[in-house]
Amino acid sequence: MRNPLIRRIPRELASDWHKYLVIIVFMVLMIGLVSGMYVGHDSMLASIEKGKEELKLEDGSFELSQKASPELLADISTGKMADVRQYFLDKGMEEADAEVSEAIDKELDEQVRTAIEEGVRAQCEAYGITDEDMILAQIDEAVDENYESAIKEARESDEFISASEEAYKKAHDAVTEAVDDEWDEISEEYGLDDGKFKPVRVSVYEDFYRDESEDADSDGTQDATIRVFRSDTLIDQASFNEGRAPKTGSEIAIDRMHADNLGIRMGDAITVGGKEFTVVGLLSYVHYLTLHESNTDLMFDAFGFDVGMVTPEAFDLLRARIHYNYAFVYENEPADKIEQADTSENFLKALITQTLVYDNEIKSYLPEYLRQASNFAPSDIEGDSSATSILCYILIAVIAFIFAITISNTIDKESSVIGTLRASGYSKRELAVHYMSMPVVVTLIGAVIGNALGYTAFRGVAVSLYYESYSLPACHLVWSPTALVKTTVIPLVLMFFINLFVIVRKLQLSPLQFLRHDLSKTRHSRARRIPAWSFLGRFRLRIMFQNMPNYVVLIFGVIFIELMMCFAFGLPDSLDHYGSRAPEMIFADYQYMLMGYKDSDGDVIETSESSAERFSAKTLLYPKETGSLRSGMGSGSDESVTVYGISPDSSYVDMPAGLPEKNVYLSSAFIEKFGLAPGDTITLHEEYENKTYEFTVYGTIDYEGGIAAFMDRDSFNTVFDRKPDEFSGYFSQNEITDIDEQDIAAVITADDISKVTSQLDHSLGGIINVMKYVLIVLAAALIYLLAKIIIERNERSISMVKILGFKNTEIGSLYIIPTAIVVVVCAIAGFAAGYFLMIEVFKVFMLQMDGYFAYYMSPASMILSVVYLLLGYLVVSVVDYIRIRRIPLNEALGNVE
Amino acid sequence: MNESFLEIRGLKKSFGSGEAKQEVLRGMDFTVKKGEFCVLLGPSGSGKSTLLNIIGGIDTPDSGYVSIGGDRLEDMSEKQLTLYRRKHLGYVFQMYNLIPNLNVKENIEVGAYLSDDPLDVEEVITTLGLQDHKYKYPNQLSGGQQQRVSIGRAVVKNPDILMCDEPTGALDYKTSKEILALIEDCNSKYGSTVIMVTHNEAIRYMADHVIKLRDGVVRHNDINEVKTPASELDW
Repeated sequence: MRNPLIRRIPRELASDWHKYLVIIVFMVLMIGLVSGMYVGHDSMLASIEKGKEELKLEDGSFELSQKASPELLADISTGKMADVRQYFLDKGMEEADAEVSEAIDKELDEQVRTAIEEGVRAQCEAYGITDEDMILAQIDEAVDENYESAIKEARESDEFISASEEAYKKAHDAVTEAVDDEWDEISEEYGLDDGKFKPVRVSVYEDFYRDESEDADSDGTQDATIRVFRSDTLIDQASFNEGRAPKTGSEIAIDRMHADNLGIRMGDAITVGGKEFTVVGLLSYVHYLTLHESNTDLMFDAFGFDVGMVTPEAFDLLRARIHYNYAFVYENEPADKIEQADTSENFLKALITQTLVYDNEIKSYLPEYLRQASNFAPSDIEGDSSATSILCYILIAVIAFIFAITISNTIDKESSVIGTLRASGYSKRELAVHYMSMPVVVTLIGAVIGNALGYTAFRGVAVSLYYESYSLPACHLVWSPTALVKTTVIPLVLMFFINLFVIVRKLQLSPLQFLRHDLSKTRHSRARRIPAWSFLGRFRLRIMFQNMPNYVVLIFGVIFIELMMCFAFGLPDSLDHYGSRAPEMIFADYQYMLMGYKDSDGDVIETSESSAERFSAKTLLYPKETGSLRSGMGSGSDESVTVYGISPDSSYVDMPAGLPEKNVYLSSAFIEKFGLAPGDTITLHEEYENKTYEFTVYGTIDYEGGIAAFMDRDSFNTVFDRKPDEFSGYFSQNEITDIDEQDIAAVITADDISKVTSQLDHSLGGIINVMKYVLIVLAAALIYLLAKIIIERNERSISMVKILGFKNTEIGSLYIIPTAIVVVVCAIAGFAAGYFLMIEVFKVFMLQMDGYFAYYMSPASMILSVVYLLLGYLVVSVVDYIRIRRIPLNEALGNVE
Repeated sequence: MNESFLEIRGLKKSFGSGEAKQEVLRGMDFTVKKGEFCVLLGPSGSGKSTLLNIIGGIDTPDSGYVSIGGDRLEDMSEKQLTLYRRKHLGYVFQMYNLIPNLNVKENIEVGAYLSDDPLDVEEVITTLGLQDHKYKYPNQLSGGQQQRVSIGRAVVKNPDILMCDEPTGALDYKTSKEILALIEDCNSKYGSTVIMVTHNEAIRYMADHVIKLRDGVVRHNDINEVKTPASELDW
């Protein structure tokens, strides 16, 4: 026989449908969202993984200052280190030999000429010739006649042979000594001789590009920088979301996300590097899933940066300088992350030595696993789903507690029935199973509907959210077993155990205790003393004490919601705040970084722009913990610090004069991000050399635009071993037009600062706003459920005080005001907790990223984040009041049933 | 009806401690035979409900023992006690304690579910005169009807002992007599031993065995040679 108690479940659901509807909708939304995120995420990651194979993603890339010779490429491919010592020896010997030989020739020439001259003069003297002109003529004649034979004779002399041998030996010894010294230094710097090196065989591919200006609407102003690649590249290829690869010199394919952001459509004409192209394809490059212009950018920029593909012929016709970028693929794929790092390090050693011996220079080196542009998106996608699922679990735990409290109240209410059933022979287990059924059934309903929505509607939402942010390839639905586990098994387990704990504890009482309504396990030996307030005040306090467990869950829920509110309000605020301060975050309207301070003719680069001011700059690294929140986000390496050398009396950087030697000012962003203070010592190091520089922090310069250190230009040139007149670029109020583009490495304007925020705003703005309103509804739903429980629990008392003659308004105030007080206090406390927690969370998150911006919340948002929650509560209070009015008088007089 | 089925020896029970200690049962001895209709009679505070609870295995004595069919309750674990109640006892309380969102038939089935050898639910409903109400919910029934359902829930298990704690305490005269008649019927029809706690002196006449309690001890332990049917009782 089936347990007849089962029939209570559907009836309970039907009789209290509004409560269960709220819970089920809540669960469906949460589970659906997480399921959608996971399905979307798994589908997206599957497409990305597939793309890596099919589109031949590199294992890393490096840029050289000049095009590599076939021999250099062949040697790099072997993965072996070049014999740098021998290279220096050969080079040194060659130079030394030339020098010694030149010195010997010079000496011999002088000696032979002197000997001939002396001979002629002696002869002239013997003949009594004194006319100097005649003597000189005689000397010239003698030199012409005897020089060759004299030289030959001298060279054959034993004396010459031994002297020149000695000279060569000395020179060679000096070279060997110098090379040995230098080699020791270099090998120590790069760890070339540490015995850990293993050759890493690679295939090297050309992946040259040019950074051209892009004018999307042909209005003559630059809209973005476009990195143009050739369509015939054999590595790092692109998939096409729409259209095809360019076939003629006037066709181009550009990034889908960028096109979307700028409203560029298929068939539109855009101007790239002054040349007009027709857009024939919208693509996603496998190594540019996010449009990070530089690997150290805080954020990608799908507005101001683009990647594009043109035919090789069109590529050759563009004018911006070619970046000699080479991509490589390991012949033997590293097995894991540790091996990945070792392999990359070994390859870098080989690369450094090979480029050195071929007189080339590495401009940049980036193993793929540290590449933000290909790792940021998958890592963010993964992070999003885990963040969402954690959120979901917290909410399900809250719901589970609400359920547990509801059931606990039901058990109290049904205590005589439970007593009777236990007296009749029902076991605790049977009753526990019975009371557990409802939460489990409701969770199952939520999970089934939620998953169904997850695979349909919500998956689309998640995928389109990713498409809004990233340059992802087209994706196809993949069944996600993780989604099923995380959205069904985990919520069920949570619901099951939280309820099991509460119910089993509750059912520990004896049948007799249930029959007697003697339900508290711990009996207060004395009544709780309460202050001598007014009767109603004391009554309210009693209500609060009676409903303590409900209030605990309410407090937890409200604090949690406030935390989320701080996130929902604070993130856009922080972005706005950072964005609005962008103009202040740049020293000059234009900051020109030059390729070198001299042009190709060796002349110092000058400008006629009157506001231009020279500065020096260098990028060093500041060590930081890489233990990550999310691997793949941020460049994964140490923090990149720009060290500036500022001209005296600068009109752009307000740096007081008289900075002591080895001292620097730090930007406020640097100080805040790493919690530094004046007097601290910082050690910065070069990226590809083992040089370190130690500085004392002298003070702060109010600059939030980046992680930077400042010193005067003279000290800069001394510290970094630069020539006294050397500089790196110009600050300027106006655009500089008289410097050749070939000599400009980069121009930084306020747009570059605000691109971070506009991108984040674009990616997150929509979802954050939705989140705000979802949270308000969530808050209201939570408070509704808990307030309902409080009133249900007190139905009999409410009915009794009605009988005694209390008015509905008085009863309302008795039961609603305590909850209101708790909600208001918790909302404010929760807000404070949330606010400070977010500041810390932001700091931790920023440590992982490159660059910095601080958490900020506007006063209006602070007020709103509390007011919204209270508005939610107000609605609930009205519902509560109606509910109290409807409680019938006979409730108190009726049977226990 | 000549074998002693329920045996109670030296049963003592007190509540509280120190000066507030109150002895409710002060050494109680009696036996009840199988199939007997036994009434525990006494005023408020005489210990009759406590005694019933101890017999029912939902309370424990300080000393003495209860033996049913040779099994002593004190030797039983909590699980065994639950099983004992499940297999041998049916409970009827003064308050009916029905499950509000189960109808009459289902409330009775709650009892049937516990038994390995339950009576036919429909037959019990008919016996209790509830056939017209079997799909009604408790809040649609009168007190008397609810108590019938409560009796049905206890009887349908076909229990060895039917424990009734003031079953007519909340009912009017007429309904009380009907309920008593029903219990009488069940006793004769299904052969269950009935132990009924009451303070109503009149009920003693319908019993086989009357145990009168006062101040925690048995004052009278009488066997009725002649029983009066419940329908003829008057008070």
